[in-house]
Amino acid sequence: MRRILSSVRDGVGFDILLVSLTMIFLFALAGMPLVYNVMMSFQEVDMFNLGTFWRPFVGLENYQAVLSQPEFGLVMKNTAFFVFGSIAGQFSLGFLLAIFFMAKFPFASTIRGVFLVSWVMPGLVVGALWGWILAGDFGVLNAILKSLGIIDSTLFWKSDPSLSIWAVTMANIWLGLAFNMMLLSVGLAAIPRDVYEAAELDGANAFQRFTSITVPMMRATIGAVLALGLIYTLQQFDLFPAITEGGPANSSSVAQYWAWQRSFVLFDFAKGATISMMMLIFVFIASVVYVASTRHEVRE
Amino acid sequence: MKLFKLGLMAGMALSVIGVGAPALAEDVTITVWSIDGAQSVGPSDTFSKEFDEMDNGIKIDYRAMQFDEIVNETMRAFATGNAPDIVSLDNPDFALFSSRGAFLDITDMAAKSDVINADAYFEGPLNSVMWDGKLYGVGKYTDTIGIFYNKDMFAEAGIENPPKTWAEFEEYARKLVKPEDNVYGATISARGNEEGTFQFLPVIQMSGGSYKDVNTEGAREWLSMVKGMIDDGIMSRDVLSLGQWDSTGVFNSGNAAMAISGPWEIDRMVDDADFDWGVTLLPTFKEGDPRSSALGGYNLGILSTTKHPEEAFKTLEYFVSQDDRLFPEFGYLPTRGDVELTLSGIEKKDAALKIFQEQLKYAQPRGPHPEWQKISKALYDAEQAALTGQMTPDQALSQAQTTIDGIVK
Amino acid sequence: MKIVTLPRLMLVLAIVLAAIYLFPLYWMYVTSLKGQSEIFANPPTFWPRDPDFSIFPETWERRHVGMFLGNSLVIGTGVTALTVLLGTGCAYVLARYRSAWIDVGLFTILMLQVLPASVMITPLYVGFNQLGLLNYPRTAVVLAASAKAIPFYIVLVRATFMNVPRELEEAALVDGNSRWGAFFFVVLPLARNGVLVLAILTFMQAFGEYIYSKSIITTQAYQPASVGLSGFLGPNSTDWNGIMAYAAMYVTPIVAIFVILQRRIVAGLTSGALK
Repeated sequence: MRRILSSVRDGVGFDILLVSLTMIFLFALAGMPLVYNVMMSFQEVDMFNLGTFWRPFVGLENYQAVLSQPEFGLVMKNTAFFVFGSIAGQFSLGFLLAIFFMAKFPFASTIRGVFLVSWVMPGLVVGALWGWILAGDFGVLNAILKSLGIIDSTLFWKSDPSLSIWAVTMANIWLGLAFNMMLLSVGLAAIPRDVYEAAELDGANAFQRFTSITVPMMRATIGAVLALGLIYTLQQFDLFPAITEGGPANSSSVAQYWAWQRSFVLFDFAKGATISMMMLIFVFIASVVYVASTRHEVRE
Repeated sequence: MKLFKLGLMAGMALSVIGVGAPALAEDVTITVWSIDGAQSVGPSDTFSKEFDEMDNGIKIDYRAMQFDEIVNETMRAFATGNAPDIVSLDNPDFALFSSRGAFLDITDMAAKSDVINADAYFEGPLNSVMWDGKLYGVGKYTDTIGIFYNKDMFAEAGIENPPKTWAEFEEYARKLVKPEDNVYGATISARGNEEGTFQFLPVIQMSGGSYKDVNTEGAREWLSMVKGMIDDGIMSRDVLSLGQWDSTGVFNSGNAAMAISGPWEIDRMVDDADFDWGVTLLPTFKEGDPRSSALGGYNLGILSTTKHPEEAFKTLEYFVSQDDRLFPEFGYLPTRGDVELTLSGIEKKDAALKIFQEQLKYAQPRGPHPEWQKISKALYDAEQAALTGQMTPDQALSQAQTTIDGIVK
Repeated sequence: MKIVTLPRLMLVLAIVLAAIYLFPLYWMYVTSLKGQSEIFANPPTFWPRDPDFSIFPETWERRHVGMFLGNSLVIGTGVTALTVLLGTGCAYVLARYRSAWIDVGLFTILMLQVLPASVMITPLYVGFNQLGLLNYPRTAVVLAASAKAIPFYIVLVRATFMNVPRELEEAALVDGNSRWGAFFFVVLPLARNGVLVLAILTFMQAFGEYIYSKSIITTQAYQPASVGLSGFLGPNSTDWNGIMAYAAMYVTPIVAIFVILQRRIVAGLTSGALK
């Protein structure tokens, strides 16, 4: 008993306690729902057995049904586009802004702080706002683009099947830019100035400094940003019902929206759970990428 | 001793009071869930409050719900044993509950009731609360759609009367469009959700089809017509993403000559539209063809898990007894034909009301079918696929038919 | 000459970029002041024809914005407290070692994020119902939302701990401190900035918690502002001006606090170079 107590205060027990408390909490509140969903994807569900755990077992029927839906291929394609497009946009623009704001000019850090506003705005509001901005006839984006002469006829961001996925991706890039920029700024700040100065003295130009110093030293941060970005994007939901509702004709429907639609609009809970399970693969990859990226971190 | 006597007297006094005042017996609490009160005051919350304040031994615990969550919340509550006693649902969602016996069968109670009379209801709303020949609820209010048109623009273009057929609808819209002023010929809602189906199903129905038989020639023709109008800029491409409210907002601000929508628009239009407008019945394909229109509105039902069916039914009776207040106070149309509608005195509003009342005679329900939402999705997906040119109307409707066959089997 | 004007140029560019980025915010304020049908005007008006400022006090009253914001505050604080409590220690441990167990731990924590909140709500609701937690709705929401916030918090705070030099901790242990002492009195103060900043950010996200609150909190008196916002959406009509006015009132205090604190936040984040 004494040994356990002292281990908790001053030994391995301490570490185990800190981690297990949290893990137990997470398993209860996030693990259980996950298990519940896994089970639901193999069962037949309706409102009468929604509250129980044991329901009629239907094997892989739900999975087959989902795969044979006419919109399955389109939704998966859209999800891939949305995820890669969002991350590419958020990451590259975020990186550019982070670098830009590292420069020394008056009010740099104040103005940089202003960008984080998007992270504190609730998803509903952002979705509603972008829904208005992207409207075809009375939307302000078109008005601005027209007055700048970039387009001459109205672009129907929300109603044109070839544009609708761009619309939500744009809104999502706006939303996630802050997060990316912030984390990348942190990573950039952690690189000591003298390393750059030494390289400059050695004759390296800006681009060379970037590729040979910045990127390698920020590997951990970049890994974290990309992995977390992937997970955040896969969870991004609020924008869809507010802007396009997955339309027109499912051209902007992505896996997480489709899962929700099946469960809570069409009341087909089993299929919704099944689609969510399919998303597991993506999160699996993201988690592996993140853990791998931390391998190189050494705490000195 | 004195204390004992005092106690005895007190005890006797209390028991006398107890015997002589049955009204002090346990009040029954009925929970009512509805969407009224969430965004604006409506009949359910108002009537609930009134009934609660009456001295009848029934207390009402009212909860205002988000309209897009009420079915899910009710289902979750039902599954976990927390269901309310009365719930108000959008009419196509009613069958989901009634077909599974989640609603109480009130056929007998209604037959004995003085207040509720099944025969007085319009056919459409009555169908939506029945399942398998039994009555599971009562209508709360109803609405439908018609064409709002800008009389000033019509006069300017030299058109005397509003369109009676779809061909006229297209012809007039083409005459009325003014691209340089950002004025569309017409605007509708072909949104990718229940609203799209709401406006599209009547077209299928008036061309001889139904939700079980959707690939009709009329429907294909209409889809081609509307696609042509969108492609030519007569209608905005955004009809594919705008709901009826927003679409008609475009009409109100003078950017469209006609709009298809319902009576809920009237109050805002009276305030905001600075032009002369009117309402007309939904067109048909050929003059004299049987009419059809959408059936909107909500129904009230008692959950089968209720512990107080009698009191719940009494509550329902009270709501129904106030049907004559629906229009003057809330602007809703009752689902019964035997209610006299008092005019508001606002000319345009009353004229519109008359048209909508007429239209209600031809309104047909969506379903009823317990898996309505899946059928609906097949329909609005098909509509959008055809209107965006991703599939031909025939392909789109065939695919919808296949999906629906799988659901309806 | 060039060196003198370059910072100025960059400042101008920065302001322009910020203005572009913040345009949606401006649109929110402007839309709330317009008339019901003016918002549909084509071409859109950049300034309302007839600004109606009365919509703000009117919406505040009618929608009980004060009450809702109070609830949002309660939930936000609760989630932040729980997250910091459970997450900080865990992040510390995960930063301290490098082993297969740590990898598994990190991996598991992230994998638990696979389901979006909209899908998690049903099992959580059922579970809470069984435990009777639905009678304490705000507590239930705090628990559910923390489970969502903790993994990200851990990942990011861990990075902060990684920047605390190991030798400082070693020195503290050599000096006779217990593990607990070393953690609490030496390592934590050094990581204070990172923890504080992430706590603030967690708070801001939790303040806007919507999906769980929507389904779990049934009494209006306990609902947070995000749920109140959805009250504007009706089946056939939507009070857009009201929504924007409400959103403006909801977002402005957060933005204001944020602008005041952001120097501290940004400084805290970028003071990573402790060497």
